[in-house]
Amino acid sequence: MKQTIAAIFALGLSALPALAEYPEKPIKLIVSYSAGGGSDVLARTVAQFLKAELGDGASVVVKNVPGAGGQIGFTEIATAAPDGYTIGIFNLPAALALTNDRDASYDVNSFTYLANFVDDPNTLVVSTSSNFESLEALLASAMEAPGAITVGLSSLGGNDHFSANMISASSGAEFTLVPFKGAALARTALMGGHVAVGTMTLSQTIGFQDEMRVLAVLSGERSAFRSEVPTAKELGLNVTMSSLRGVVAPAGLDPEIAATLRDALSAVNANAEFQTMMADQGNPIAFSAGNAYAEVAKAQDEVARKIWEETPWN
Amino acid sequence: MYSDLLNALPEVLSLANFAAVIIGVIAGIVVGAMPGLSATMAISVLVPFTFGLEPLVALGLMAGIYNGAMYGGAIPAVLLRIPGTPAAVATTFDGYPMAQKGEGGFALQVAVVSSSIGGIASAFALMLLAPPLSQVTLLFGPSEVFWVAIFGLASIIFLLGGSPVKGLISACFGVFVSVIGADPIFGTDRYTFGQLEMLDGISIVILLVGLYALPPVIDLLETPLKTETDANKLGTEPIWRTLPRMGRFWKTWIRGSLIGIWIGILPGAGGSMAAFMSYNEARRASKTPETWGNGEPEGVAAAEVANNADTASALIPALTLGIPGTAVAAVMLGGLMIHGLQPGPMLFRENPDVVFGFMWQFLFGAILLVFLGGSLATNSFARLLNLPRPLLGSVIIVLMLIGVYSIHGRMFDVYLMLGFGAIGYVMDKLKFPLPPVVLGLILGAFAEENLRLALRIGRGDWTILFQNVTSLVIVALTIAVIVGPLIKRRYVNKRLKAELGSKTGMEE
Repeated sequence: MKQTIAAIFALGLSALPALAEYPEKPIKLIVSYSAGGGSDVLARTVAQFLKAELGDGASVVVKNVPGAGGQIGFTEIATAAPDGYTIGIFNLPAALALTNDRDASYDVNSFTYLANFVDDPNTLVVSTSSNFESLEALLASAMEAPGAITVGLSSLGGNDHFSANMISASSGAEFTLVPFKGAALARTALMGGHVAVGTMTLSQTIGFQDEMRVLAVLSGERSAFRSEVPTAKELGLNVTMSSLRGVVAPAGLDPEIAATLRDALSAVNANAEFQTMMADQGNPIAFSAGNAYAEVAKAQDEVARKIWEETPWN
Repeated sequence: MYSDLLNALPEVLSLANFAAVIIGVIAGIVVGAMPGLSATMAISVLVPFTFGLEPLVALGLMAGIYNGAMYGGAIPAVLLRIPGTPAAVATTFDGYPMAQKGEGGFALQVAVVSSSIGGIASAFALMLLAPPLSQVTLLFGPSEVFWVAIFGLASIIFLLGGSPVKGLISACFGVFVSVIGADPIFGTDRYTFGQLEMLDGISIVILLVGLYALPPVIDLLETPLKTETDANKLGTEPIWRTLPRMGRFWKTWIRGSLIGIWIGILPGAGGSMAAFMSYNEARRASKTPETWGNGEPEGVAAAEVANNADTASALIPALTLGIPGTAVAAVMLGGLMIHGLQPGPMLFRENPDVVFGFMWQFLFGAILLVFLGGSLATNSFARLLNLPRPLLGSVIIVLMLIGVYSIHGRMFDVYLMLGFGAIGYVMDKLKFPLPPVVLGLILGAFAEENLRLALRIGRGDWTILFQNVTSLVIVALTIAVIVGPLIKRRYVNKRLKAELGSKTGMEE
């Protein structure tokens, strides 16, 4: 008996250095969008700090795998060997929403959820020249003439779209959805008066305070970035939707390596310098790690599936 | 705000910041000169490396690369009939015939001077007029942009060349290629055959490299032993001697600059459309349109001034509205964001030193182009022509393969490019014009997306397309462009007939 325990102990000891050596080669951090975008900037910022936290000459290499609305990159993360050397930036709800409208070789269970960094809430926003001074006025007008109010979105099947759908569902108001190619075009159309309302995320309204009026933010609490804007909840609409960006690994990752990565990512988040950089880039941080993050992903997946079942977008 | 502009100047002139612009311009010329490598690609490769740099060093590099690449694309366009960048397609029309006549050196000098002038005009527009001009962008919603695309398609009818039927087939092929990929509204697959790589549509660079670069290379290799005498001579004279001969282009330069600046401000159009339109307008204004396409230096001037005039102006909507006018501007926005600079009206108030410094760098980049481009292009790059043909051909093929592979890092694109190359080769042999394919691809997608958005906004009511002044003005311009030449032709025919009639009358 004693011998067995000693043997296990010895094995454990000999196994320890092996684990402690992780990472022994460069870690690949996959970004499913092209260089220069929001996800890419996040990845490069995280990579820089993660390298320092892992220490011992660890290296984190960002690899852009753009294409098919992110699907190619997300597939590459999901199907990589779960050895801790391939991790990736995960965009919610986009990554899981697209599994509804086309064939995808992954789903919500294909990933090990390490840590979420950015939680960028959607808003209801109008141009400053708009007649709508409040959410109430907007909804009243939409009820009066169903479909007369146009809502500019960055695309169908994303958080902008889901926001509009959820607002319709919970208020009974009907809108005409206009999906542009990207958030910037939707914002310009809003400012030019070509569409009446937008549902873009809060970070996309930063820098345009004089041009656009945010009527409500679709989050549980008011945002530190725009604390004067009420939440939809305060105004009687129980709707929350946001764009999330975190770090995931393929499912089946060794729990010890997962813990190492989670701890390192938590330490990155605790770094004041990192927080300053994220704030400068206009990224609202809502850090969650491990199970909490996995729960968020599951909830987002269900929202997307429900909307798809009720009102498929293609 | 103009005091902010001057305050930003000293910082720009510091050694590191200025050196960045110089290095950027040189790198840009080299990248632009290689078929398949574009400014967009060079800058997106650069963006990650600028993380640790001072903002102005990073932005200076980008400004330099952008300016340099827009000219660099003209070098192979003139010497080999291979546009180095999509924007240089129109440069091949007259640049290559000039090179064949032994005036390649002059063509390159015209290109570099015109590029520089376009860049300077654009930088001034950006510096002095950015906030007011950004209001112009706001006027253009989906229905207005749809009409701009139709205007573009209408004004390039001349590109159909000798045989309108072949030209139309080419244009239709381009429009068909634009349909491939995810539907712009619903995201449903169209002609992708289940290939994820096709879902984003066909990249213009892949099409361009296949269609434009491969046939001339095959041409080079088909006749490896052909010894050229005249064509190999560039006939380069010192630039101070050729400069006076360019004075007569001033009208074309002004027109091309304005077109380039205007196209740059519009979202999505970009340098190739600017170059095509400028070329077309200059040709229409010319007293000797028959010399165009056969080595008219003014044609090179028109194309090159416009494709550089959209560089800085594309940044006007990018900086003020966060909406990039071109793909390059989109990548540059990423570069700004990395340094914590959020595009938008507030940018000018919060970070004037960086924003205005960036604008100065654009101006200096454009000015430096004459010196760096002049010496680099005519002295070193142009010696390309003296390389043995098999060597030159294989080097270009290797560069093309690397360039196309590096866009997304996948072999699929390389095969796609080779496929387009085969199509291009056949089209070339059967004398189908290639430019309508490129424009069909760009403008077809543009028109489709915006028409559908406009109709969604109007909830299916087609009158939305005619409901405001901006739309109506563009519609009127479009009609003028289509009907104008018809009336002119009729008028000229009548006069010819009258002349003939009087002549025959006298004979009788």
